[in-house]
Amino acid sequence: MQAFEYASPRSLQEAIRLLPAQWGPTDVLAGGTDLVSAMKDGISTPQRLVNIKQIAELHRMTFSPRAGLHIGATVTLRELLDDGAVQQHYPGLIQAAEAARSEQLLNMGTVGGELLQRPRCWYYRNGYGLLALRDGKSLVPEGENQYHAILGNAGPAYFVSPSFLAPILIALGATVQLHGPRGARSLPVQKLFVTPTRVGQREHDLAPNEILTEIRVPYRPGVRTAVYEIREKEALDWPLAMAAVALRQEGGVLRDPRVVLGQVAPVPWPSPEAERTLTGKKPSEDLADAAGRAAVAQATPLSKNGYKVQLARIAVKRAILSAVQQGG
Amino acid sequence: MSSKLLGERIKRKEDPRLIQGRSHYVDDIQLCGMLYLAFVRSPHAHAEIKAIHSEAAQKMPGVLAVYTGADLEGRLGLIPCAAGMEGLKVPPHPCLALRRVRYVGEPVAVVVASGRYQAVDAAAQVEVDYEPLPAITDLDKAVSSDSPVIHESLGDNIAFVAKLEGGDWKAVESDASLKVIRQRLVNQRLAPLSMETRGVVASYSPGEDTLTVWSSTQIPHLLKTQLAVMTGMDEARVRVIAPEVGGAFGSKLNVYAEEGVACFVSRQFGKPVKWIESRRENLMATIHGRDQIDDLEIYFRPDGKVMGLKCHILANLGAYHQLLTPAIPTLTALMILGCYNIPAVFVETKGVFTNTMSTDAYRGAGRPEATYIIERVMDMVARELNLDPVEVRLKNFPPPGKDIVLATGVSYDTANYQKTLKKVLTLSGYKKLRREQARLRKKGKYLGIGLSTYVEICAMGPSSRMPAGGWESGTVRVEPTGKVTVLSGTSPHGQGEETSFAQIVAEELGVPYDDVTVYHGDTNQVPMGIGTFGSRTTAVGGTAIYHAAQRIKKKMARLAAVKLGAKPSELVFRDGKIETEDGSKSVKFGEVVGEAYFAKQLPPGLAPGLVENYVFEPPNYTYPFGAHVAVVEIDNETGEVNLRNYFAVDDCGRILNPMLVDGQIHGGLAQGIGQALWEEHVYDENGQLLTGTLMDCAAPRAHQFCWFETANTETRTPVNPLGVKGVGEAGTIGSTPAIVNAVMDALRPLGVRHIDMPLKPEKIWQVLRGGSPQVV
Ligand SMILES: Cc1cc2nc3c(=O)[nH]c(=O)nc-3n(C[C@H](O)[C@H](O)[C@H](O)COP(=O)(O)OP(=O)(O)OC[C@H]3O[C@@H](n4cnc5c(N)ncnc54)[C@H](O)[C@@H]3O)c2cc1C
Ligand code: SF4
Repeated sequence: MQAFEYASPRSLQEAIRLLPAQWGPTDVLAGGTDLVSAMKDGISTPQRLVNIKQIAELHRMTFSPRAGLHIGATVTLRELLDDGAVQQHYPGLIQAAEAARSEQLLNMGTVGGELLQRPRCWYYRNGYGLLALRDGKSLVPEGENQYHAILGNAGPAYFVSPSFLAPILIALGATVQLHGPRGARSLPVQKLFVTPTRVGQREHDLAPNEILTEIRVPYRPGVRTAVYEIREKEALDWPLAMAAVALRQEGGVLRDPRVVLGQVAPVPWPSPEAERTLTGKKPSEDLADAAGRAAVAQATPLSKNGYKVQLARIAVKRAILSAVQQGG
Repeated sequence: MSSKLLGERIKRKEDPRLIQGRSHYVDDIQLCGMLYLAFVRSPHAHAEIKAIHSEAAQKMPGVLAVYTGADLEGRLGLIPCAAGMEGLKVPPHPCLALRRVRYVGEPVAVVVASGRYQAVDAAAQVEVDYEPLPAITDLDKAVSSDSPVIHESLGDNIAFVAKLEGGDWKAVESDASLKVIRQRLVNQRLAPLSMETRGVVASYSPGEDTLTVWSSTQIPHLLKTQLAVMTGMDEARVRVIAPEVGGAFGSKLNVYAEEGVACFVSRQFGKPVKWIESRRENLMATIHGRDQIDDLEIYFRPDGKVMGLKCHILANLGAYHQLLTPAIPTLTALMILGCYNIPAVFVETKGVFTNTMSTDAYRGAGRPEATYIIERVMDMVARELNLDPVEVRLKNFPPPGKDIVLATGVSYDTANYQKTLKKVLTLSGYKKLRREQARLRKKGKYLGIGLSTYVEICAMGPSSRMPAGGWESGTVRVEPTGKVTVLSGTSPHGQGEETSFAQIVAEELGVPYDDVTVYHGDTNQVPMGIGTFGSRTTAVGGTAIYHAAQRIKKKMARLAAVKLGAKPSELVFRDGKIETEDGSKSVKFGEVVGEAYFAKQLPPGLAPGLVENYVFEPPNYTYPFGAHVAVVEIDNETGEVNLRNYFAVDDCGRILNPMLVDGQIHGGLAQGIGQALWEEHVYDENGQLLTGTLMDCAAPRAHQFCWFETANTETRTPVNPLGVKGVGEAGTIGSTPAIVNAVMDALRPLGVRHIDMPLKPEKIWQVLRGGSPQVV
């Protein structure tokens, strides 16, 4: 790891002032669970770290039926899990966060950092960049691609979005607040994620001098949610596929279903195909199965990741069944 | 024996300080003026070292020196290998690579700095020019005649070929009624992965000319001897201390490059030197376990009786020999018949060099491989004949008894395999499970029931058959105040012998358990020792202590007899007293102790004091055994294996403390099941380690297991007076085949005979959809 300067501002304004307008020389440090390991591997080589954990306003969490849930960016996954309002009103969020089964990660990792963690693609982690290029050519299609994208993978990006929380947040219609030198802006969570198309482009719609300050999740009583994920080793790895579902049941049929897949594409992957399959239908195992099939109908697996298609399909099916079985 | 200590569930003496984080591991040792080491390691599996540029690193802040292999040549000895088998090729193994590197992670240079991070940062600045050579990682290729050679001076990559043959093969091969199965089994490489990584502090005092070494090791005494040889120091001036050791599983039964280098550097500077292994270093440069390919031929009668077993073993040794590397696979051959009376056996073991880290002892060390082979054999035979695996096992067990000699020539101390099997069948409700399985199969659901009836070889062992002595020493000293100090040459690192040894001594001397304190792991404190491995600590080390306690008793009884006017043989030790059986003549333990030390009226010929040492030489190994049943469910849609139940009945001889036995079984099961389902330590064809971090390397965690139902039978061994056999490795040895047998049993309707471990969901899914599992 190379030597760096460490700043720990107490206000948001000060923090933003410490961030330059280009990527590289400076990194925002939240829990550091992702960033520090990237620094050890030389993937990130900042000259300055700006710790945002001393900024009180980033560490608040509030809930009211009107405003919904506001989660400060530096709220830890453990704090999220232990919050009574979240437990009561957002079981899907709990399910998603619980999946990080390491107590160290839960205690250190923040919700903001979770959304902004960098992809796990091993080419990226070994210094080949997000597009995994060697001599201008992607190493993924003919390489070790068992963990890469099965959807949205026409290239040049093949990595998968690693966030666990994004799919359920998107299904719940959440937004994020971003603060930069020119003030604040708000984005639907889905829009925070972008598929890079050229070298140097990031996978988040976030400027180098912007800070993610808050995640806002609307309160939607009566919505049933579920998250289902499948891991290969059940260890400190990421799922091979996951699905988040939010839906309502009215008069025995499904309304406003939202189905979002994770770990299958460079961005969290909403499935309008699955949603169409469900809308207005009576829930059943066959219907869930059909929605699972619809979700992966367009999948284009790479040479070694055909198994992920099956898992994505099953994750969607089981998330739907589990959401249907859950109370309001 | 009067008190009620042996056999009780007594909590571990060592736990409070460990749980509260108040004890000391190597990294907790801070000495004044300490220097730190960081190693520059090879990124190549196989390459020539053309040049090493350390100028930039030398100029970094805090850096005092950079040493390379050339700097150490002739000044620091080679890494030792204790295994001495006929015709074994032993390549030179320098602490820092000389001219060539042969595995990823091999130490090439070392940076000495006054700060830990300064050392690490500077190591990153050392530039090494390599000329890559073709890497050899595949065993079949490594032994082919056109393979590049890893150690050119040795001619080829085969370190040894060992044969073990027994029985009448002519009869077997000419018997046309026998059926034959041929099958290749791959026993994948694993990382031992102890919670505490390795670490060493070496502190040389120039004035006294003494070297004190704290190392996270299982063998402080052996390490002391070897470090003296490597550094050229007078052994009497070297002291090795194993402080708290946070697990090892065999991986610290070794002498490592870093230990040698730390001693060398400390002597150069006359200052203490510390090196603590990072987790990544631990995964690439601490020994690995297993890694064998076993090609089997099984000859069996239509009634299920197995008549002959042939096995060709390719054992991956890695690039160099560590302390016991080549000896490990020979244990596979020795135990390959398991607990079955198979009249003919033939095993050929080839030890093969590859461009990978050395393999060596990992919990079970060669025996899990044997158990895996023979237990899979039993199930494959049952499957082929459409018999219940229980039936096939019963057909092949020898009758219960003593000194059972199998075709391998191994003589098993005591055995009652029928009893453990019967007990586990009852415990698991085996018949009911089979009925449930039949019901579920009709519904297209796959439930699997897997058996393993294992036997292991433990209590290592008779010196005549051990590479470096198999005895153990124990000392009991009753202090003038009546408190008791016990010194053991073993070096427990989690097993809990501070507790069980205290139980033995307190029981023998009739003193309170809390009055007994056990020490181990310091060569200046414990006169001699071998260490902790091979499930030997209680069976061999505990026995030494038991005998030392007998000597103390003999002396104290003589003293007490004079006082009481009784015969020494009439006296018993109980409740802090030495007295006649009926209690009519009695003297306090402490009074007799005082007599021994004040020495006013000692009987003629008795020396003052109460300290006795005993070195126990075991006449044989012990052979613990057990029967396990695993129940698994297969997720038809994802291929995931859900471990529903696990039943383990183990017979480790006499049980001194059931809680310790349970702890050992639980941990062992986790590792054995881990191998079956998740774990593998993988190199790619270029010799790059693909599982180099805990993110890639699947170390199972508690939530992945079901509750283990454990029970025991107690068949005492005559090999030692305690009757204990050993339990440290049983869980690991017994459980792996139980799981694989269960999964293969579940998949039976699909017609596959075997899938290699780990049984990852993707492989099973391929089978479920009608493909071949081996393409994964
Ligand atoms: C071994 C391992 C296993 C894991 N397993 C799981 C799992 O099972 N489930 C799960 O949910 N997660 C898992 N994770 C991911 C984990 O949740 C994230 O690493 C964590 O939440 C990131 O949060 P952090 O605060 O530590 O981020 P940091 O490492 O501090 O930051 C991550 C990135 O985001 C940037 N950043 C962080 N916060 C902000 C902000 N507010 N504004 C702008 N930029 C910001 C940083 O600059 C950095 O680039 C795992 C991680 C590891 C290392
Ligand atoms: S996660 Fe890594 S660093 Fe943390 S305790 Fe485990 S091995 Fe050590």
